[in-house]
Amino acid sequence: MTSEVFSGESYDGNAVGQSWRRANSESKVLGTFRYTADLPVPKCLYLGVHRASQPHASIVNIDAEGAMAIPGVVKVITGADLYDALGEKMLTGPAFSDQPPIAWQRVRYVGEPVAVVLATDLATARAAADEIYVEYQDMAPVLDIDAALEGHDYVHDELRPSVVFQDLRQLMGKRNTNINYEYNLNRGDSEHAHKTAATTVNGEFWTPPTSHVAIELFSASAWTEETHLELVSTTQTPSYVRQAIATMLNLRLNQVRVRTLGLGGSFGSKMYDRLEPLVAAIAWTQKLPVRLELTREETFVLTTRHGVAVSSRMSADSDGNIVAATADVRYDTGAYADIGPRIAAKSGMVACGPYRIENAKIRSRCIYTNKPSAGPFRGFGVPQVTWSHESLIDDLARELGEDPAGFRKRNLLREGDVAPIGTVMHSADFIGCLDAVTEAIGWNEPLERREGDWKWGRGVAVGIKAVLTPTVSNAVLQLNQDASATLLISTVEMGQGSDTIMAQIVADVLNLGPERVRVVNPDTDVTPYDTITAGSRSTYHTGNAVKMAAETMRDKLIEIAAKQMGVSPSDCKLTAGGVLSSSSQRLISLEDLIMSEFGAAGTTMTAEANFTTEWIPYDKETGQSTKITEHWFAGAAAAELAVDARTGRIRIRHLAVAGDVGRAINPALVKQQLIGGAIMGMGHALFDEIVFDNGQMVNGTLLDYQLPSIKDMPEKLTPIIVENPHRTGPFGAKGVGETGLIPIAPAIANAVRDAIGIRITTLPLTPERVLTALANQGK
Amino acid sequence: MNLTLNINGTAHSVDIVEGELLLDVLRRLGFTSVREGCGVGACGSCTVLVDGHSVSSCLTLSSRCAGTEIQTSEGLGKDNPVVRAFVAEGALQCGYCIPGFVMMATELLSENLHPDEKDVADHLEGNICRCGTYPEIVKAVLAAASGIPK
Ligand code: FES
Ligand code: FES
Repeated sequence: MTSEVFSGESYDGNAVGQSWRRANSESKVLGTFRYTADLPVPKCLYLGVHRASQPHASIVNIDAEGAMAIPGVVKVITGADLYDALGEKMLTGPAFSDQPPIAWQRVRYVGEPVAVVLATDLATARAAADEIYVEYQDMAPVLDIDAALEGHDYVHDELRPSVVFQDLRQLMGKRNTNINYEYNLNRGDSEHAHKTAATTVNGEFWTPPTSHVAIELFSASAWTEETHLELVSTTQTPSYVRQAIATMLNLRLNQVRVRTLGLGGSFGSKMYDRLEPLVAAIAWTQKLPVRLELTREETFVLTTRHGVAVSSRMSADSDGNIVAATADVRYDTGAYADIGPRIAAKSGMVACGPYRIENAKIRSRCIYTNKPSAGPFRGFGVPQVTWSHESLIDDLARELGEDPAGFRKRNLLREGDVAPIGTVMHSADFIGCLDAVTEAIGWNEPLERREGDWKWGRGVAVGIKAVLTPTVSNAVLQLNQDASATLLISTVEMGQGSDTIMAQIVADVLNLGPERVRVVNPDTDVTPYDTITAGSRSTYHTGNAVKMAAETMRDKLIEIAAKQMGVSPSDCKLTAGGVLSSSSQRLISLEDLIMSEFGAAGTTMTAEANFTTEWIPYDKETGQSTKITEHWFAGAAAAELAVDARTGRIRIRHLAVAGDVGRAINPALVKQQLIGGAIMGMGHALFDEIVFDNGQMVNGTLLDYQLPSIKDMPEKLTPIIVENPHRTGPFGAKGVGETGLIPIAPAIANAVRDAIGIRITTLPLTPERVLTALANQGK
Repeated sequence: MNLTLNINGTAHSVDIVEGELLLDVLRRLGFTSVREGCGVGACGSCTVLVDGHSVSSCLTLSSRCAGTEIQTSEGLGKDNPVVRAFVAEGALQCGYCIPGFVMMATELLSENLHPDEKDVADHLEGNICRCGTYPEIVKAVLAAASGIPK
C-alpha cells in the first residue's frame, strides 16, 4: 500500500497552504493526551442502564427491588420519575421533540433505556441494572420501511416537531402515520421526458444501517453547582447541547455549562441528544453528581446510519444527454426522528446527482420504525443516495455503449450551471475531480481482464453534497502581550484537524509562527456559539469567523502602532517582526506594542467575529431554491479491482479519490481526510452492515461487526486535492470531511460491474452476495 | 486485595477488587494511553506489553500480572524511535487508537528488526483505526525499522 501524505513543515510567514504537523501529535502518539473521559470531575455516582428487550411494547411494571437490595445501589430512576419532574419537556430532539431520556410508558426499540441505576461504582451499577425486571405488554412492531408505509401500526401516536425548524410546525399533532417528513423536488416534466427519451434505466437500491464505531466510547458526567448545571460530555455539538438542556430543565443558558475535550473520533455519532439529556435530567432533578460510560454494545444501539431504500430511474436522449431523473428515497430513521427529517430533505434533494437534468422528480421521506434511532453519519444521508445515482448513471452509459467517465463528463454540472434544485453552481469542480481520479488509475490504459479465477474491472463515481445552511459561527481571539495567541471557538477537534488549521489561519493573518497559537477546548462558559462541528462545515464557517477575528486584531495592532509612531495606518504593515512603518522603516514588535499600550506585562487584546450564512428556503411544492446552500462539496473516486469468481472476494489494486476543497489550508491533513473517508467508504462498500432480526440487532459487538482493518487496504490509495477557490471561503477554502467517503461505494460497485458484468444493488458487496450474483448469472 | 504491578519500570502498589481487569487498573492509575474500545479483544486500543508480549488489557486479569513487566506507550518516551516515526509520518488522526498501534509496532520490531509491508500488516491486523490512518501507520513502522542498523 502506498500513499503520499506528510511533507514535513516549514515556516516562511505563510501558514496557510503549509502541511503543519497536527496539533498535539506527540502526546496523542504517547497516549498522554487527555480525551473527554480523562477530564477530572467531582466524585460521581455511576449509572447503569437497564434496556428494553422488546421492539415495541407498553411498560406494565418495573420491578427494581432486586437491584435496590444490592450494596452500593443508591437509587433507581424510571421514565415516569423524570416525567413527574419535567413533564413533556423531557422529550427532546433536534427536529422532533419525541425522545425521552428514559422510556416513558412505552418502549420503541430493543436497547432503549427503561430504568437507570445510580450506584457508587460502575460495576455495581451495571450489575444492578441486570437485576431489574420489566413486565411488558407487546405491541405490534414496525420492523422495516415497507411495514411502516403500508401497515397500520404506528411508532408514535402523533408527530411532535420541535420548535427549531419553522417548516416542520405544520406537522404538529399529525396522527396515523410513520412518515415524519416528506421532501419533494419537481422540475420540468419528468414523466413526459422519461416517456419520450431514447434510453431509460431503472433500479432498486438499498444501503443497510451501519455503525459509526468511533473507537472512543461515549461518556458524560453531570453535576450541579450553586446555581448551575455542569456537563462534561463526548459531544461534537456543545452549543446545541447547552440549548437543549436549558430548554429541558427550564434553565437560563448561563445556568448550563457544557465542556468537551478532543474526541477519539465521532463521524456524526456524538451529536445532538446522546447521553446528555439523561445525565442532565438525573443530576438536576436528583441534585446528585452522575456519570455514564457506555460499553461498545450500548454504543451500537445508541445511534446508527440510516438504512435507505431508493427506487430510481434515469433517461437519456439519443445524443447521450440525460433528460430526466426520478428518485423515491426512503430513510429508515428508527424509533426517534433525531435529525432524520433534515437528512431526508437536505440529502434527498441531491438524489439525482450532480448532473444537468432539466426534468427531475424526487420524493424523499423520513420514516419511523421500531429500531434504534438513526442519526447523522459522515455524509449526512448523501452516500446512500449517491449509491443510487452513481450506479444508475453507470448503467445508462453502458446501455448507450458509452464510456462511463466520458458520459458523466458530458452531463456533469459546471461552473455557472443551474442544478436540478434551482441553485447556480460555483466552486464545485466535478470534472476536475473526475479527470484526476481516472488519470490516476490509468482509466484509458488497456486492462488484462482475466487472471485465472480473478476478473478485473474499473469503476468511477462522483459525489455532490450541499453544506448545511444556514448556520452560525463565532470566534474570539485573544492576543497576549508576549505575542502568543489564544483562540476561543466551539469547534470540537475529533481527528479532522481543526485545532491545527484554525491556528494556521490565525498565524497566517498575524504572521505568527507555529506553536504561537493555542486553540481552547470547547466550553460554553468560555467559547462562543457555533452551530455544530459537523457536515464538513468548520473550515469554511468557523474558519471565516477566525480569519475575520484575526484581521480585526491585525487592524487594531496597526492602528495602535501608527499612533505610537506618529504615522498613518496605511503606512504600516504587520510583518513577522512586528508592525513596520514603510516611510520611517521603524519596526515595533508586538510585545513592545501591547506593553506600551497597556503599560503592563501579561496584558491581552481581544477581537471577535461572527460568520453567519443565509439560504432561501425551498418551495414546498417544487423543492426549488435559488440559494439552497452556501456552497457545494464535489468529489470523485475511481477503482481498479479484481473479483475472485471462486470465492466472491474483492481485491482492490488502486483506489483514487479526489475532492475539490477550494484551497487546502493544510494539504497533508486534507489528504488524510480524503484517505480516511475513502477507507470508511470502502468499509461501507465491502463490510459494514448492521443486521436485525425481529428488531433485535444481531451483530452489535466488534467481534461480529465487520469493518476495514489494515489488511484490507487497497494495494494503492491515491488522495488528490483539487483546488477551485471559493469566492467567500477563508483563503478560498472549503471543508473535506465527507468528500472522500461519498463516491467510494458506487465506484467500487461499478468496477465490480465492469469485472463480472453484474449490477449488485444492495450493499455491502460481501463475498456471499457476489457469489450469489454470479450463481444467478449462470442460470 | 493488594497487588504490586511493575509498570514502565516503576513498582505500583494497588488495591484491586477480585476479577478486576488490567485495563481498569491501569486507567485508575492514570495510564490514559490504555483505552477501552470494545471490551472483547477485537479493537486493540487497550494493548499493552506484558513481559514484552502484547495483550489486550480488556481481557487480562490484573491479578495475573503481578511479577511481570508491564509496558504502556507513555512509558516509551518521546525519543523512542517508534514514537518519533509516528509523529514524523503524521500517523494519527483523532489519535485514540494510536497507542495500541505503537505497542504492537514495538512488539513487532523486537521480534523482527526488518519487517516488510506485509509483516507490518500481518502484525497490526487486530487493531482498528476507524479514522483510516493505516497507510501512514505502515509507513511509520517501516520508517522506525529503517532506523535500526542492519
Ligand atoms: S478494548 Fe481491548 S481489544 Fe478492544
Ligand atoms: S486515529 Fe482515530 S481511530 Fe485511529
